[in-house]
Order: sequence, then structure tokens, then C-alpha cells
Amino acid sequence: MSERVDLQEFVGAFVAEAEELAAAANLSLLEIEVANTEGTTRPRIVRDLFRALHTIKGLAGMMGVEPIVEIAHALETLIRSADRAGGLLSPKAVEIALQGIGEISERVQAVAERRQVAGIPVQLIATIASIDAEPAATRLIKKIPSGWEGRLTVGELQQLDHAHDTAIPVWAVTFMPSASNVTRGITIASVRRDLAAIGELVRVFPRALAGPGDATGVAFDMLLISKASRDVIAATAATELVDIVAVVAHSAAAVAEIAASGAPDAPGAPDRDDHVTAIGRAVVRVDLSRLDELQEQLSLLIVSRFRLEHEIAAIAKLGHDVRRLREIAQLQGRQLRDLRRAILRARMVRVADVLEPLNLLVRGLARSTRRPVQLVLEAGDTELDKAVADRLLPALIHLVRNAVDHAIEAPEERAAAGKPTTGTVRVSCVAVAANHIELVVRDDGQGIDRDAIARRAKRPIASDAELLEVLTRPGFSTREVATTTSGRGLGMDIVQRVAVAELGGELALQTTLGAGTAFTLRVPITIAVMDVFSFQCGAQCFVVPASLVEEIFEVSAETVSVGPSPPRPGAGASTNSAVSLFEHRGQAIPLLSLGALLEIDSGARARKALVIRRNGQPMAFSVDRMIGRQEVVVRSIDDPLVTVPGITGTTDLGDGRPTLMLDLNELASVYRDRVAS
Amino acid sequence: MTNDLHVTFRVGTASYAVPAAQVLHLESFENATLVPGAPAYVAGLVQVRGRVVPVVDLRVRFGLPPVERTIDNRVLVVQVGTRVAGLLVDSAREVLRIDETSFEKPPEMIERQSAGFVTAVATVTKRLFLLVDVPRLIGEELAHG
Repeated sequence: MSERVDLQEFVGAFVAEAEELAAAANLSLLEIEVANTEGTTRPRIVRDLFRALHTIKGLAGMMGVEPIVEIAHALETLIRSADRAGGLLSPKAVEIALQGIGEISERVQAVAERRQVAGIPVQLIATIASIDAEPAATRLIKKIPSGWEGRLTVGELQQLDHAHDTAIPVWAVTFMPSASNVTRGITIASVRRDLAAIGELVRVFPRALAGPGDATGVAFDMLLISKASRDVIAATAATELVDIVAVVAHSAAAVAEIAASGAPDAPGAPDRDDHVTAIGRAVVRVDLSRLDELQEQLSLLIVSRFRLEHEIAAIAKLGHDVRRLREIAQLQGRQLRDLRRAILRARMVRVADVLEPLNLLVRGLARSTRRPVQLVLEAGDTELDKAVADRLLPALIHLVRNAVDHAIEAPEERAAAGKPTTGTVRVSCVAVAANHIELVVRDDGQGIDRDAIARRAKRPIASDAELLEVLTRPGFSTREVATTTSGRGLGMDIVQRVAVAELGGELALQTTLGAGTAFTLRVPITIAVMDVFSFQCGAQCFVVPASLVEEIFEVSAETVSVGPSPPRPGAGASTNSAVSLFEHRGQAIPLLSLGALLEIDSGARARKALVIRRNGQPMAFSVDRMIGRQEVVVRSIDDPLVTVPGITGTTDLGDGRPTLMLDLNELASVYRDRVAS
Repeated sequence: MTNDLHVTFRVGTASYAVPAAQVLHLESFENATLVPGAPAYVAGLVQVRGRVVPVVDLRVRFGLPPVERTIDNRVLVVQVGTRVAGLLVDSAREVLRIDETSFEKPPEMIERQSAGFVTAVATVTKRLFLLVDVPRLIGEELAHG
């Protein structure tokens, strides 16, 4: 009993770690695949892969997930022999390894969802074993630099061998960390990084040095394959050092001469360079729920701050001097903002990391559709909230899948159109404004045939915005034939829901027949705290995301025209009178009475109108009275009793009562459907 | 041993009981935020101890005419699985020990008329208590589509 409880505590950490390792393993395999096509090998990547699998195996063993242990073990064996073969992993082996990782991920997911974990895939393991048994194309290594014997793996020696074959010099470099180096920002971590940038760093080996007196130091022996000049290497590894000698790999003896000067390894010195990699940024892994908790606490603080302001205003009304109180409240407000920013930073993930899984997706799709497609990811250093990232990814997967499945033409077709036979799907991300990012999924495929869609939708389509509206209708599909990749519908309604309803963002479309399509998602980088307009309608207050509101203006009787609305059988009276027309800057804008829409009309004359843009068209909602603009913490509504279209969440404006957040776009849809039926 | 503790309340002319284990706490009721579009028996949303909770008006749920709200009105905050909801009742005061064995199947006609909301009937010191089905009251069927 207690044992099970203990393990449950580790599930979160296990899942997080295993997922990350599986993703890293996938990436490594993809890189090896690229190397295969280039006819080169990546021994270091193979070693990373081995380590990832080994760790997965260890973790799964600890958790008692036997099937994962078995798969990881089989793959580990396969990769170990690849390491021995100098990083040579056949395309077939890469294929089967990807499959194996997929099986692992699936089981990790099952653990995460507390589902039954699928058993040991005997067939797959047998296949892995059979590949492993194939004779590896190992070359004989003859030149082992003395002093490095037994310190280099066969794979590393093969790297040296390869360098020799291609006449690239091998260098023995020794770096000694010193105080003066540290002050200049030069550490083994920076040297490693910089050396790796100018060549192939074969191995880093730490070695203890006996210093004067009791002092001990550490030196790092490194083997570097590089075409760079001696001076460049010396400068890269910090110029003070004199232990750099160019070695042409032909003369293995020379390597021996200059390399390890005979100093014995420090007792218990870590094998490989594991402890070296530990130098660098300190990283703590935190379960997302803990950050949520922190944010929840912050939300409560923000709410109590609103209360405080309310009270201060009440005291001021009684004629008391509240200047000092106000100052303190303002200071506290700033501090809360800083705190919020700090928490937000902790929740940020790199967009580049979020997009990574798309590589695998496109790879699989390209295979199943038999169309050569390349994915280009351009995320730079943009970051966003993990919570947003988690919601965003399914939408991006939809868009990328659609692009490969529906947009990219067959190679012959592309060639005939004068396009490169390999299609390109480009996902780029840039930060726009302070709190938004814009993600663009662009393909160079056939574009969307507006006329064909118009025929199917049985309505004219005059613009990309109208096209998007048709495409995002639930269940609308451009394809009669269901394909395995995209299923029956395009799923564009899901993309729209994620971008607009869940994240309070925007979705836009731009397509050119024959040239390609671009979908633009503009979403906030975080969703916990929102900038809203609050207003009164009927007896209640409501809020709407400020980012959605284009304009607020006065409503006067002279500018509003209530058109004809003859009574219709079966239709409620309120639906008929809910909409009127409004003249604004020479344009006729539909004006919906929010009170009538929500059936909470107070009978009071509406004084203000909020203008939003719906599918590119302006549309106004009349409200009784504006209250203000503020930052609020939004809670989602999840109880089925109150899950109602058009209402997306609640917030507390400081009165201790829930205030509803509205989705005006969705309310407009509800209204349209009501009138249409 | 605490299993036989029940929170009792009144709606209209009848007294009802729910197992105390399902009740998180009792709150007074002032006002709820109306949720346009929600079922008519949803009085709205209230904030209870930092939590936003939907409130079911049992008068409406039981098909009784609306009455003026009084200071006796209470909200029983109940928990069913992960869901937390409020039950708005006319008044609630007592926590009674009602032995399980004293509950009987309600007469068939009552059971039918109550649309399954009443699952058992008990008599305690000549007072009648109707045991209600809390998951049903808060629309558990909605939660499963």
C-alpha cells in the first residue's frame, strides 16, 4: 500500500523526464538519419541517444514499468553496437528505433493517464534484435594515440580514423581553468562550446593536477578534429595555454607525444565528460502544477488588492485623507506586477522546443502521403507560457497536418507547375507587441480554391476572411474522401476554437491559388491574467478581453436605425429586436443589444457600444454603462451546469462575486443561429 | 460511525436530508451571478472560500413556485467526485443522526412524482425526512454528455 503511494508521487517526475528523454532520442535519430543521407556519421549523437535510452530504462525500472524497460534495453543494445561501429546506424535501424521510441512514448503516456500500460511488443523486440545481429560495417582502427589508449571508445577512434582519411588535423588541447580566465568568462563549458563550433570535439577528459603545496587543480585534455589554424584554436581555448600542438593524424605517435603528459587520472575521476557537462546553467525541473499553485496564490493576492482599493475609495468618500494609503497601494500594485512577471518567466518555454514534435509529425506524414516535404521551423528565441504552449500545439498539429495532406501537391504536379518537387511547410514565430506572439504556418502548396469552396458551401466567398469563416464551420471539409491523416473534417473549427475561444487570440488566413496558404495565429504569451474591459448590462457586470475590442463609442438615438423585424412564427420576440444598424464613420455596422442577447434586458437605454471585428467585419454590442479597464485573473468555467456558449470564464472585480467573461464572437454566432432557425 | 450523520433542510413544506459526508459546508445566501443560457434551475454562480461554485435552486428544481428570499436561505455546498456545487434551500439548521436502517424505499407514487430526486424516506421522532439524490440534483447526467 505505502509502496504504491510512494510511487504515485514519482509519476509526475517520471513522466516529465521520460517524455523529455524520448523527445531527445527522437531528435537524435532524426539527426542520424540526416547524417546517413549525407554519408557521414555522428558518433556524439549516437552516444547521446544511448544515454537517453539508458536513463529511460533506469527510470522505468524504478517505476516497475517492465515493457518500457524491455524496449529500452533492446534499443540500447542496438545503439551500443552502433557506437562501437563509430556511430554507424543503418537507415533500417533508425526506422526501427523510431518505432521503438514511439512504443515507449505511448506507454509513458499510459502511465501519465493512469491507464493500463500495453505489454511487451515481442515482435518489435525480435526485429530490433535481428537488426542488432547484422554484421556492422566496422573498420579496423590501427592508430590509437598512446596515452589515449583505453580512454577512447571504438567510435571515437573511428572519428580519428575518419579524420585521418580526410586529412583533417587532430589537435590535442589542454585547458587549465584559472581565476583570471573565470573573470573573463572563460570556463571549460565555454571552451568546449567554442571548440565544438570550430571543429569536432572528440573527447574531453578531466585530470587532477598536483599544485604547489596542498593545492590541487584540474586540467582538461581534449582531442579536437579541426581544419582551423593553430592560432585560432589557441585563441579559442584561451591564449594563455601553451599545450596546443598541431597533430596530423598520420603520425599517431605525435598525438601520444603531446597528449596526456603522463599525469595519472584523479582517483574516482568521472568516466567520460559527464561532470563537465554539469558545468553551465543551473536548471531545476519543476512540476507545472507547482507553478500553477504559485500563480493561484498570486491571483488571490491580486483579488485582495482590488478589495483594498475598493475600501480605500470608500474611506475617501467619507472625506478622509487617503493619500498615504493610495501611495502604498500603488507601490504594492507595482510589486505585484513584478512578482507576476517573475512567475511568468518561470513558466516560459522556448517556442522552438514546443515546435519540435512537428518534425516527427511531418516526417511521418511525408512517408504516408509519399510526398517529399520539408519542415522549416523559425522560432528564434521567442518564449511563451507552458499553459499556452500546451493548448497551442494541437492547433499547430492540425494546421501542419492539413498543409501536408491537402496543400502540398504530388511531386509530378509540382514539377509541372515549375515548383521544387519537395514541398515546404514553414512554421515561424515572432513576438508581436509586448504580450503576443504570432505563429505563421505557411505552405508552398496549391492554395485553397475559393470558388470550389464557395460551391460546396453554397454561398459566395469574396475574401480570405469569408473563406476562413466557411472553413472554420464545425464539420466543414474540403475533401469528400476521408484520408487517414486528416480524417473526415479539416479540423479548422478546432484551430479556431483554440486560437480564439481558449486563448483569446486571432486566426487569419491568406491564400493564393497555386502558390500556397498561410495561417496566422496571434495569441497572448500567457493566459492567466487578462486585460479586460468591464461594463454593466442589466443588473450585472461583465468583462470582455480588451484585446478583442477595437473601439468603444457613445450610442445616440439619431445614429441607430432599427430595421423592420416582422414577427415570425416560432421565433422569440427578443431575437427580432436585438439587432439594429449603426452609422459609424460612414459605415453601417450591425449593433446587437447585449441585454436582449443575454435576455437580461433592464429596459434602460444602452449608452455605449463595444466594437469587435468578426471575420474581418466590424460588429457592435450595446451595453448600459462602461466601468473600466483592468487586469484580472480569469478562471475557466468547467462545471457542466454553467457551461454555456458565449461565456468563457469568471473573474473577481474586487466585490467578492464572480463576474462573467463573455466571448462576444460566440454570442454573435449563437444569435445568428437563433435567428436562422 | 459518522456515516449516519445527515444534514437536514427544508424546501417548501417538506424536510429533506443529505448524508453529511457529501456536504462541505453551509453558507448564507445573498446573491448569485446569473449565468444567461444556463438551465432555469441554476440560480447562478457564487464565490465560496475563493472557489467559484454553481448554485442549484431546489425550489425551481422541485417545481415549486418562487418565493421571496429570506435570511433563512442557505446554500449547502456539496461535493460529488471532483465537482463542487451549491444547493439553495429555504432553510437548513440541523445535523441529525439518522440510522441507515430507518430509511425506507419511498412509496412508488412519490418516487415517480419526484423524478428520482427522492431515493428514500425516514421517520425520526415522528418527523418525515426525504433523502435526496445529490448527484442527480446537480445534473450529473450533464457531466456525462
